[in-house]
Amino acid sequence: MCAGNVNAVPDVDASVVSELGFRRGESRKLGGDDAVERQHAKGRLTVRERIAAMTDPGSFREIGTLAGTGRYDEHNRLVSVTPAPYVAGLARIDGRAVAIGGEDFTVRGGTTFGSLRRKGGQGGFIEDLAHHYRVPLVNLIDGAGGSVLSIKRRGHSVFPGVHGFERSVGLLGTVPVVCAVLGTAAGGPAGRAILSHFSVMVRDNSQVFAAGPPVVKRSLGQEIDKNDLGGAAVAVDKAGTIHNAAVSEEDAFAQIRRFLSFMPDNVWQLPPRGDASDPVDRCDERLASIVPQRRTQAYNMHRLVKLVCDEGSTFELQPTYGKAVITLLARLGGRPVGIVANNPMVYGGAMDVHAARKQIHFMDLCDTFHIPIVFFVDVPGFMVGLRAEEAGTLREGMRAVFFAGQLSVPTITLVVRKCYGMAGMATCNKNDVDLKLAWPTAEWGSLPVEGGVAAAFRGDIMAAPDPAAREKEIEAEFRPYASPFRTAEAFAVEEIIDPRETRPVLCEFVALAEARLQSGLGKRSRSGVQP
Amino acid sequence: MAKVELGSPVTGTVWKVERATGDSVGEGDVILILESMKMEIPLESSADGVIVELRVKPGEAVEEEQILCVLET
Repeated sequence: MCAGNVNAVPDVDASVVSELGFRRGESRKLGGDDAVERQHAKGRLTVRERIAAMTDPGSFREIGTLAGTGRYDEHNRLVSVTPAPYVAGLARIDGRAVAIGGEDFTVRGGTTFGSLRRKGGQGGFIEDLAHHYRVPLVNLIDGAGGSVLSIKRRGHSVFPGVHGFERSVGLLGTVPVVCAVLGTAAGGPAGRAILSHFSVMVRDNSQVFAAGPPVVKRSLGQEIDKNDLGGAAVAVDKAGTIHNAAVSEEDAFAQIRRFLSFMPDNVWQLPPRGDASDPVDRCDERLASIVPQRRTQAYNMHRLVKLVCDEGSTFELQPTYGKAVITLLARLGGRPVGIVANNPMVYGGAMDVHAARKQIHFMDLCDTFHIPIVFFVDVPGFMVGLRAEEAGTLREGMRAVFFAGQLSVPTITLVVRKCYGMAGMATCNKNDVDLKLAWPTAEWGSLPVEGGVAAAFRGDIMAAPDPAAREKEIEAEFRPYASPFRTAEAFAVEEIIDPRETRPVLCEFVALAEARLQSGLGKRSRSGVQP
Repeated sequence: MAKVELGSPVTGTVWKVERATGDSVGEGDVILILESMKMEIPLESSADGVIVELRVKPGEAVEEEQILCVLET
């Protein structure tokens, strides 16, 4: 990246400059034409093409270009260089600096370089770059991790953790870390993908697992295709191992750019303001009737949230996993916010183990990067039943309550309909002044009147000549007390708002939260043992 | 013409079938209503198209992700 011709500079030994040019040329060849062709035939880009597609044109400042394995003739003259199977450096995305790197699958399948100092992966130099310059880290993962060949090269095997995850772990508290799984990732690279704030993989053309089919066959005798074992249908939709699926590599890069647009460069900065052209005082009439009057009728929470947020600003994380809760990054008046919304379309919004896990990660993400959280609440409680108990719903749900109670970022809780029990407690942080607002359609309590009456008056009901009628009678006696207005009367909820004024109210409080965010910048401290 | 399969969002029972085979539907239209966790859960069309297959009747128990309806778009 230099306007003049380097070779024309006087006083520089031409042979040295030409050696630099030759070595750079060797590095650009990657694993050679045949290997590049094989990579393309699989519908995959090379690591250099990926970096070019991901970052602003001409912004890539490569670091470690010359690392590799040189071959010399009998006079010690350089013949060729096989580049290290990792390309790394600094670049810009939408004008903002990032550290970016990825395995080069065309060189020995992207297996680790085997030198004393690593360019990429866990403990690699790319992580030092992100740490020292306090910029986001973008990992483009396409490698199988360690190779048994390195044992022979070193003369000994390596204790797990010599190239450990300490730096990877530390980065999770300081700078945004995003990982794209663009090939088959097992072992170290697969683990590296998980230690991120946002991860994405290409549906049908990438896989991630602790170990691939050959190991599964040897360990368990099971024959399974790599896509059935670690494709997006398992890793994203079922397991939540990777957050989002993309339809192509380009889509994965677009999702990463979108995610980073909400993030500050590091935890010592405020998240960046974006487009604020959608008026903050916009009131939407459709909100007045979006919640059906019959309380057993579900409605579309995605649509509701989109009517409130800045137009076109929402970006959903984990849309296919733990669907009882919706987690979105969005903007209100141009300011980034995290939205946690219960989804009444999925088991009435009851929190299951997956939804709890998803909500915990999302709250943690927002709290780390000083992004205020708005809860759109419609939750009847934790998921019930044998399967839910076996899955550990109660423990995972209480972990969500634990994390909500530890939030230091400003939160606004807006109860749209139901807010019951412990799952309801996971939707607000009562440690602080954070607001609890409600629509007139709201209802709440330790448990709903229906089930509550049946449990508390069992004897009375069973002794009645017509038990069903008696149950209805007692319910009718209790129902008026469940009105949200009675709670507001007692100032136990701060305000009940007209659904149409939701956007102006939220925009105002998010803007007001800025002073508190500013005074709380930096790393978070945590205490307590997680349940 | 592409076929779009609509899977059940939940385990539950079919409460009401609102549309019939051959009907044209728009994205977001309710095709049938399920009952689960004492809630009415609508199955909404994910695209504009024509219903070519309705695989369930009212009262039938369905599993999560079971294909309930096929559209041609």
